[in-house]
Amino acid sequence: MNNIFPFNKFITGFNIIKANGGPLNAFKKLFRHDELKIGTLVGTDEMGNRYYENNTYFYGRNRWVEYNDQVYLDYDASQITAEWYGWIHYKTDLLPYNDPNRPKYKWMAKHTENETGTERQYVPYSTMPPKIQAWVPPNKN
Amino acid sequence: MLSLNKIAKCLLSNSRTFQTSAVLKHDTMFNHRDTKEDNLDIKFEFSDENKKRIDAILAIYPEGHKRAAMIPLLDLAQRQHGWLPISAMHKVADVLDLPKMRVYEVATFYTMFMRKPTGKYHLQVCTTTPCWLRGSDDVISCLKKKLDIGVGETSKDGQWTLSEVECLGACVNAPMMQVNDDYFEDLTTKDVESIIDDLKNGKTPTPGPRSSRYASEPMDGLTSLKEEPYGPGFKVRPDL
Amino acid sequence: MFRTTLQRTVPCIRLVVAPGQFRLNSNAPAPPSKLEVFIDDKKVLVDPGTTVLQAAALAGVEIPRFCYHERLAVAGNCRMCLVEVERSPKPVAACAMPVMNGWKIKTNSELTRKAREGVMEFLLMNHPLDCPICDQGGECDLQDQSMAFGSDRSRFVDIDYSGKRAVEDKDIGPLVKTIMTRCIHCTRCIRFASEVAGVDDLGTTGRGSDMQVGTYIEKMFLSELSGNVIDLCPVGALTSKPYSFSARPWETRKTDSVDVLDALGSNIVVSTRAGDVMRILPRLNEDINEEWLSDKSRFSYDGLKRQRLITPLVKDNKGNLVPVEWEDALVATSRALINANGNIVGVSGGLSDAESMIALKDLLNRLGSEQLYTEEPFPMTGSGTDFRSSYILNSSISGLEQADLVLLIGTNPRYEAPLLNTRIRKSYVHNDLEIALLGPKVDLSYDYEYLGESPAILKDLAEKRHAFYAKLSKAKRPVIILGAQQFEREDGAILLAQAQQLSQELNKNADKGWKILNVLQQVAGQVAALDLGYKPYNNLPAAKVLYLLGADNESLTKCKPAGTTVIYQGHHGDAGAAIADIVLPGAAYTEKQATYVNTEGRAQQTLMAVQPPGMARSDWKIIRAISEFVGVKLPYDTLNEVRDRLTDVCPSMTRYGDLEPANYLVQASDLAKDLSSQTVSTPLNVKQITLEDFYMTDSISRSSPTMAKCIQAVRKQKESKYYESRA
Repeated sequence: MNNIFPFNKFITGFNIIKANGGPLNAFKKLFRHDELKIGTLVGTDEMGNRYYENNTYFYGRNRWVEYNDQVYLDYDASQITAEWYGWIHYKTDLLPYNDPNRPKYKWMAKHTENETGTERQYVPYSTMPPKIQAWVPPNKN
Repeated sequence: MLSLNKIAKCLLSNSRTFQTSAVLKHDTMFNHRDTKEDNLDIKFEFSDENKKRIDAILAIYPEGHKRAAMIPLLDLAQRQHGWLPISAMHKVADVLDLPKMRVYEVATFYTMFMRKPTGKYHLQVCTTTPCWLRGSDDVISCLKKKLDIGVGETSKDGQWTLSEVECLGACVNAPMMQVNDDYFEDLTTKDVESIIDDLKNGKTPTPGPRSSRYASEPMDGLTSLKEEPYGPGFKVRPDL
Repeated sequence: MFRTTLQRTVPCIRLVVAPGQFRLNSNAPAPPSKLEVFIDDKKVLVDPGTTVLQAAALAGVEIPRFCYHERLAVAGNCRMCLVEVERSPKPVAACAMPVMNGWKIKTNSELTRKAREGVMEFLLMNHPLDCPICDQGGECDLQDQSMAFGSDRSRFVDIDYSGKRAVEDKDIGPLVKTIMTRCIHCTRCIRFASEVAGVDDLGTTGRGSDMQVGTYIEKMFLSELSGNVIDLCPVGALTSKPYSFSARPWETRKTDSVDVLDALGSNIVVSTRAGDVMRILPRLNEDINEEWLSDKSRFSYDGLKRQRLITPLVKDNKGNLVPVEWEDALVATSRALINANGNIVGVSGGLSDAESMIALKDLLNRLGSEQLYTEEPFPMTGSGTDFRSSYILNSSISGLEQADLVLLIGTNPRYEAPLLNTRIRKSYVHNDLEIALLGPKVDLSYDYEYLGESPAILKDLAEKRHAFYAKLSKAKRPVIILGAQQFEREDGAILLAQAQQLSQELNKNADKGWKILNVLQQVAGQVAALDLGYKPYNNLPAAKVLYLLGADNESLTKCKPAGTTVIYQGHHGDAGAAIADIVLPGAAYTEKQATYVNTEGRAQQTLMAVQPPGMARSDWKIIRAISEFVGVKLPYDTLNEVRDRLTDVCPSMTRYGDLEPANYLVQASDLAKDLSSQTVSTPLNVKQITLEDFYMTDSISRSSPTMAKCIQAVRKQKESKYYESRA
């Protein structure tokens, strides 16, 4: 039956749209992420990114992140915080809040995303004195 | 074991010395450093008597070659002052109207110009081979003990300076020493002590050989040339 | 002292050093016939008295040497030049041995090679092998010659016992760095100091392996020529302190150029790396600087990197100079020039080149102004600047070697033109030249007859009343050198007139065609400016626009007239830029191809060694750009077209390297005749009396830290007990 008319695919599609909050929200999500998936929300990080897991997908696609809605299209993989990095890259299967071996120290810096291309980006500068020293005109006031 | 030795040697010596540098072979420096005894504030002036001598010395040399009088003048200055301070060198340069550097060059070249404070009696003991074989070591150690100074040092009262020198050309009368301008030859420790005692008491010891010799003839009388001198015509062909 | 000893103790010295180098006295005996010698079986005919080394050079064979130098007395102490002479039991020192007729000299035989290898081994025995950290590396005679003539392996194993000789370094000033352990005792520096510089500060002390070259006492080598010992040193014992550890000779680019820090136009080589001037070296020119260079010319290159104008600056409404783009600056300039309605005054400075001066002159003429001045004064009474002979050094720098009497009036050539002074000293040492000085008593590094500092003496001389006139009138080739700075006096014209009259008097007895009167200029740009028709100024007329082309003169900048717009075009922010309303950044002499005429009237050109910094541009291009904005476009677009224009105005100015003699000395004197009877009473004075006055004279050397250090060193030395003033 399914070979003739793929009911199960329609049902899956319907479920996905439903899980993602209706056709309009699903369309928005598809527009943002080029992908529409269904999964369980396993956690949220301090940046507001949501992490999902659905093990029916094959390995490598079964964990994903939906970035904070506020960044809209300006999402970047470096926005994933350090504590979620290991889980989403399959370095560990333990979720950060379930992992007993995660140290936490006062001096640990807050996560920052990659600032290249922004105003706060690092620009290397010369530490050499200039070869030519210009004359500075005397200032009268 | 060899490597252990090497490590020990390395630790004992300064490990930074990859290369050694030559030690100074002279006891004097060839740069001037101002000291208490030797600086420009200590003025040097030739005495009136020596000024006359300078005129006489300069008169020997033709015009344009007055710089040839440099060594006699430096010697004169050294005799007057006992040694040769920097201000004396400057004085000689002024007298000869020469750049001061030319005087420094000469004064540092010759070892008999003493550029350090030197005692009233400069004792120079020859330690070259013939004198050494004949006992110059005894002479030196006797002097060291008697005067309580080392080689190259001047006694505290400024009276004595002891130097080791190379051959002074009196090998036949070895061992010998020179006190200022006088040679004392054929020395034994007893002779050395009596010479020093004489000098200390203000007496003038007789220079020359301390043995029974008059000069450098053999100790036990003549061994050759004993016969009458041959007259003219000895072994000459009669027809000449 | 050197003069008498050299001549009398080494009678053959003239013959030894002479051929091709020194002009001999006319009373030297006529040389007999030539000698025939064979260098490596090649026959050469040489004059008697020629050394083996010189004969070999004639045959095209270079004999290695360390101590021998063409311009210094022969020492013969390095022994590197040993060669085999047939039937001679030992090898002979080629530098000191005069050849005999029929000698067969073998410069490449087994004995010669063995001798060289042995000498090299002895030299290297006490030489540290620190080539990698030595500044001489790459241009070291010892390095080169040990490669060519040394052994290929070392037998030196004494490292554990006595090691190599170590010698204490000497502090001889802020210019020359000494690493005395590297010294091989060639005594070139000592001979240079004694013979050429005339400062007997260096010598050898001690003897044998303890011998060292130095000053004995702690003293600096205070000479205006001290940098030359760096070039002379065949090893790295004397190296340049400002240049130390900064570049290697093979990585620098060399550009032939001309020095502009004094009026002689010494030939230089500018070494650059990555757009940076690393050092300046002298370039051989027998007619000007031989192979020497004064310390100011050699070491003030770091002034080219300080206090530079790198952007155009225009005054904003608050009265502050602010950086702007070229276009804004040119618009502001052209507006000021157009509004001035021809009421413009142009003043060119001492470092200006001929191209920019002709461009400025053309521009101002087109705008209806004829008021173009140079900042250096010159009397305009009498013939003024009409005759070139009145303002150049007529007898030429090398011509001074033929002179038999030099009268210096109101000048101190030792610091105003150090290399002119070495010529005089050379003649003094070798040719029995007599020198007399009228002016303040200074140390000229040689003996002279002091006439006094009253200018009335010059009048007495001109009127044949002075006792010295008897000596002057007997001279066959007398030379009078008048310092150009005396023209700053109000009565400068009278001094010139009297000097002219005196030289006319002396001319009667002098050799035919011999020129007596010389003016020693102080700055590099003056002769070109006067040649191009710039006028010396006495009182600057009021104008709406004052265009300063590198003019920083104090008298000019001190009293800025109110209501005048001042445009300053130049390369250094100095007095001129400080009073300016518009500043246009120009190029310094290492950054442009430009023409300069030296004090003897010889046109020479600098070449571009580095790019002008920032937005600075070649000076003539700036003026050409202004002309387009003003609307009177100058008819030249390339350097060659500017030079065509220069050739139209003054044909000699583009004949580079040629000396353009001037005549009309008689006419100039006649025109100034009525002036010479006047009496002047203020005593003569010169600006540069002691060494500390020498180092900073223009905007480049004033901004040089090295020159500042030199002045400090001289002051410190003056406090030392060992300082002796020879004035």
